Amino acid sequence: MSEIEIAGLTKNYPGPGGKSAGVTDFSLLIGSGEFVTLLGPSGCGKTTTLRLIAGLLKPDSGRISVAGRVLSSAQGIVPPELRGMGMVFQNYAVWPHKTVFDNVAFGLKIRRIPAAKTREQVARALASVNLGGFENRYPSELSGGQQQRVALARSLVVEPKVLLLDEPLSNLDAKLRERMRLELKQLQRRTGITFIYVTHDQSEALALSDRIAVMHEGRLQQYGPPREVYRSPTNRVVADFMGTVNLVQARVCAASDGGFVAEAGPLKLALGRCSGIQLGDQVELAIRPESIRLAINGGDTAGVRTRIEEVSYLGNFTEYSVTIGPIRLRVQSGPDAPFVVGDEALLSIETDQYNVFALDKNTK
Amino acid sequence: MAEPFDIEKRTAETAALTSPRPRRLNLEAWVCAAAIAAVIILIVLPLAFLLWGSVASANGLTIDYFTRVLHTRIYFQALENSLVLGAWVGLFSILIGLPMAWAVTRTDLPGRGFVKLTATLAYLSPPFLLAIAFVNLFSPRAGVINTLLRQAFPSHDLTFNIFSMAGLVLVTVSHTFPFVYLLAASALASVDSSYEEAAQILGAGKLRITLSVTLPLVAPAILSGALIAFIEAIALFGSQAIVGLPGRIFTLPTRIYSLFDYPPQYGLASALSLIFIALTVAALYLQRAYLGRRSFATLGGKGGQSRRLSLGRWRWPLFMFSVIVFVVVIVLPYGSLLAVSFSKSWGLPFWQNLTFANYHFVLFEYAVTQRAILNSLVLATAAATFCVFLGSAIGWIDVRTTLPLRRVLDYAALIPLGLPGIVIAVALVQFWLRTPLPLYGSLAILFLAYSARYLPLGARVANAALQQIDPSLEQSARILGASWAETMRDITLPMIRSTLFAGWILIFVPAIQELSASILLFSGKSITIAVAVYNLYENGSIEAVAALAFINIAIIAVAIWFANRIGGVAVRPEALG
Repeated sequence: MSEIEIAGLTKNYPGPGGKSAGVTDFSLLIGSGEFVTLLGPSGCGKTTTLRLIAGLLKPDSGRISVAGRVLSSAQGIVPPELRGMGMVFQNYAVWPHKTVFDNVAFGLKIRRIPAAKTREQVARALASVNLGGFENRYPSELSGGQQQRVALARSLVVEPKVLLLDEPLSNLDAKLRERMRLELKQLQRRTGITFIYVTHDQSEALALSDRIAVMHEGRLQQYGPPREVYRSPTNRVVADFMGTVNLVQARVCAASDGGFVAEAGPLKLALGRCSGIQLGDQVELAIRPESIRLAINGGDTAGVRTRIEEVSYLGNFTEYSVTIGPIRLRVQSGPDAPFVVGDEALLSIETDQYNVFALDKNTK
Repeated sequence: MAEPFDIEKRTAETAALTSPRPRRLNLEAWVCAAAIAAVIILIVLPLAFLLWGSVASANGLTIDYFTRVLHTRIYFQALENSLVLGAWVGLFSILIGLPMAWAVTRTDLPGRGFVKLTATLAYLSPPFLLAIAFVNLFSPRAGVINTLLRQAFPSHDLTFNIFSMAGLVLVTVSHTFPFVYLLAASALASVDSSYEEAAQILGAGKLRITLSVTLPLVAPAILSGALIAFIEAIALFGSQAIVGLPGRIFTLPTRIYSLFDYPPQYGLASALSLIFIALTVAALYLQRAYLGRRSFATLGGKGGQSRRLSLGRWRWPLFMFSVIVFVVVIVLPYGSLLAVSFSKSWGLPFWQNLTFANYHFVLFEYAVTQRAILNSLVLATAAATFCVFLGSAIGWIDVRTTLPLRRVLDYAALIPLGLPGIVIAVALVQFWLRTPLPLYGSLAILFLAYSARYLPLGARVANAALQQIDPSLEQSARILGASWAETMRDITLPMIRSTLFAGWILIFVPAIQELSASILLFSGKSITIAVAVYNLYENGSIEAVAALAFINIAIIAVAIWFANRIGGVAVRPEALG
């Protein structure tokens, strides 16, 4: 089995534009056969982490072990060519001077696989990425999506235990990206290979991963299944990065039932499940736009009065911009829009569908 | 109260708005027409007359000249020598340029900046001066190094005869290896490191990666560089005359030159020129084909610089190799030439022999060299300026207008790339001798020759610059009411100014040392620096030659210093490719 253990990994590394893209004290445990995504904005150190795992970079400190064997540490690294991993690059890195067949067969040639077996395995690998019959084409004759598949086949044909993917879909157009996403997921399930996937696209991460490692400024922010990362972000950085979120400053007050309540103007939200918060604290509420309900003013529903400032119809849902006093919120609800600009509505927020972060703590 | 709608009044108002000023002459049309006319006069007509001159005789059309060229031993021999020279030069340019390029871009070689400097200096070093310097070092009897070798090893003959094919190859390669170096280095530097990393992750070792990924990716650039070296090598009149003629090695340029001895044989010269063109164009075509595949290396992407290969114990041998190249192509030739330029008489003991008299002679005493310096400065300045502006107009027509046949005009402007300097001279002679204008022997015909020769550089640079500019930037000015001329003056030209300046320098530097075309077209009145150097050398005034050579080099150095200072322009042979 090939469990990957990353412990205390640190690497100072210059990123694009002179900014640091290093990683600091990064630890992660990746189970065998798992699909793990390293997610974060550019310069957060996710690609650096991937290149450290590949052995293309040497860590300043910390170590990376696979199946209990240390492959990278500050003392030295096992070179990439001896790790038996696969890697798919952002720009595919399909060799332009070799045919599709020669590209895919390269790793087998290195491993001195006999010609007949090579042909058979290449054919199988190409078939698995729906590229049967393209053996004699040159990469320049292929579309971006097809080159992507060649890169995948080239990595898969040598049957790696671990496949590293560096933003493999970011150069494809939106439609193709979604189709390739689905294929990648199926491929991973079918082969049982451990996938370590780098992306800055949170929806890609949510759709693909067994677990997501959210990174920011070289540090791990949260590591967990997609639902957990989306619904219960551990800090505002994660909340802000995982999709749209309303961040509202509030003050902790006493509630009538003896618990706490966060007050932001007329908006009051119960803080039942939050520990470590004291009366009078300034906090920040993270509220997803889809957790906010709008009801027609005048019914018997409870809620805070709000004014509709903007309505955007987006096909599968409608987005409103609403104000409660000085607070402006984004709200997403079903496509059928009963409100127009200037309407008054009653706003309510689903219990437990928001997160609270203490200000000046936990924010970095 | 709204006024009643008066259609005529409104139309008049609208018209006044859309053209704020009365339209005077259409400058754009005039500029385009002038550019087309210039290309026809500079290139198309001389070429047509060259072709005509090669088949016309007193009794109508004939292929006699071609049959004589191909069946007469001396002409065929010249063709063969040119091919042999070009092939060896191409090969040795790879053998010297490629290791240097690889070491600079991919390894931890010490002194990489020094290697780059060597290549740049070698590229800038005027080949005919290099030839004179090498003769000074290696002429069979009096050559400095040969003399030293005879003194050091009296019992063995270790001397090297420069007046041989090997000598010609040595002189030429010293100038041409930078073409391979620069193309290979830029290709090696632009190979996306992920191509190599992908192979590494699949288990390939360093050697395997180099042979099966890196080398095939840059092979087109290497071959392309070697072909440019080939084209450049066979076209150089100066070195082939200075080194080849004493060794009885005739090549195409020197044979064409000798056909202008009295009585001139224009028909044969034209036929030989056309064969020369065919050779050059074939090589150029191959080079284009290879360079087209260079897209391999420039597919771009991120993935920073790959780790430099540690040379280990090969570090110092490779460094020594670069030092030897530097010594052979720069230090020895120019060192000896510098010593000569400060000597009363070359051959006397050096330190008792120092003088500035040679510089004084060529600058202040000898009217011919004074005139030559002035002529060359005027010609190079005029031709560079004219080529840049004509190139811009041609670029404009190609990039911004929809005139029919505009691509043809662009190609026509690039034709001189396939024309060796001496062939341009033959074509101009064929054309202008048939007109009533007495241009032959004047500065004007040299200006035409230089303009034709370097127009491709101007056109290439301007075309590339214009393609970088989004037309909407110009359209915005037009919509705000600017005329074409105002748009050019305020928007387009300022934006491409620094590129055009780079192009100007790219033309000025070779033009100030032009020999191949000038040698057939000069007269006592219109003599240029390079021709004066050549004539003084023929007369055996080696000290004056050396002084004039360094004045020529000083002008080049000042121009390049100025370019670096003002425009941050790097003078590189890229634009030749």
